[in-house]
Amino acid sequence: MEQTISQMAHLGAGIAIGFGAVGAGLGIGFATKGLMDAVSRQPEVAGKAFGFFLLGAALSEACALYAFVIAFLLLGK
Amino acid sequence: MEHWIYTVSIGGHNVSLNLDTIFTMWFAMFVVIVFAIISTRNLSLFPNKLQAAAESIMQFFYGTLNTMIETENKKHVPLVASLFLFIITANLMGQLPLRIIHLKNGAELASPTNDINLTSAMAIIVLIYYVFAGIKSKGGKFFIHEFSFTGIVMALVELLEMFTRPLSLAIRLFANIFAGEILVSITLGAMAYFLPLPVMLFEILVAFIQATVFMMLTIAYIGSAVQEEH
Repeated sequence: MEQTISQMAHLGAGIAIGFGAVGAGLGIGFATKGLMDAVSRQPEVAGKAFGFFLLGAALSEACALYAFVIAFLLLGK
Repeated sequence: MEHWIYTVSIGGHNVSLNLDTIFTMWFAMFVVIVFAIISTRNLSLFPNKLQAAAESIMQFFYGTLNTMIETENKKHVPLVASLFLFIITANLMGQLPLRIIHLKNGAELASPTNDINLTSAMAIIVLIYYVFAGIKSKGGKFFIHEFSFTGIVMALVELLEMFTRPLSLAIRLFANIFAGEILVSITLGAMAYFLPLPVMLFEILVAFIQATVFMMLTIAYIGSAVQEEH
């Protein structure tokens, strides 16, 4: 029984990081799309827009890292 | 990744201290304090290189506060600047080869921000600061804006935000640095000498971005607490 719980926890860790990565990937993809739209429309804002892009990418990447923390906690079970 | 845990008994309660985090935290604080003292010594109207660098760093904080908080923004500089400088020093310390120093119980010296206790403490400091700043500028209106249904619902949502904001602040910084350390150690095992170097360069970028994000969110929270809604 103990074995099964540990195995299920490892399975759960994989599922957690997988679904978390989907959301963060979509978020960074949308952020990049926004950056590309802005730069192609107004090339002179490229420097300013890149700073905001990095901020937004870091914020959406953090969602995947929440999932990573949960996965790491599950791995210890 | 293991911490050197030292347990002390205070009043019948066992309190665990992560000694490696405390040591690296004091080291980061020492670096920041020494930089501050050296760069502000012999201040002159024609600055030398160090003073010019320190001035441009402070200009960055003043400029960011100016764009995000409209009124009385200068008094928040001490908290924001010390948070940013401490976090950037702490994050960059993780890329130093501190792992060659072996401590007791397999503990390793690493960036102090890969300990969630430190980031939680900083997030709680930010929470206390912006709640007090909001009470100071708005009084009782900080908690309840208007006595109507939407006003009370919004007050409950803001009460919930008091828990979620420090939680997300703490976990964001901790998870980024912690994931970076694990990524470096995994690549060190998979393909040593080649793969860890670009990953560590990426971690330097992450260190700067996360310090900026922590600072920006702190400023945004203070701004939302201090400013009147339009």
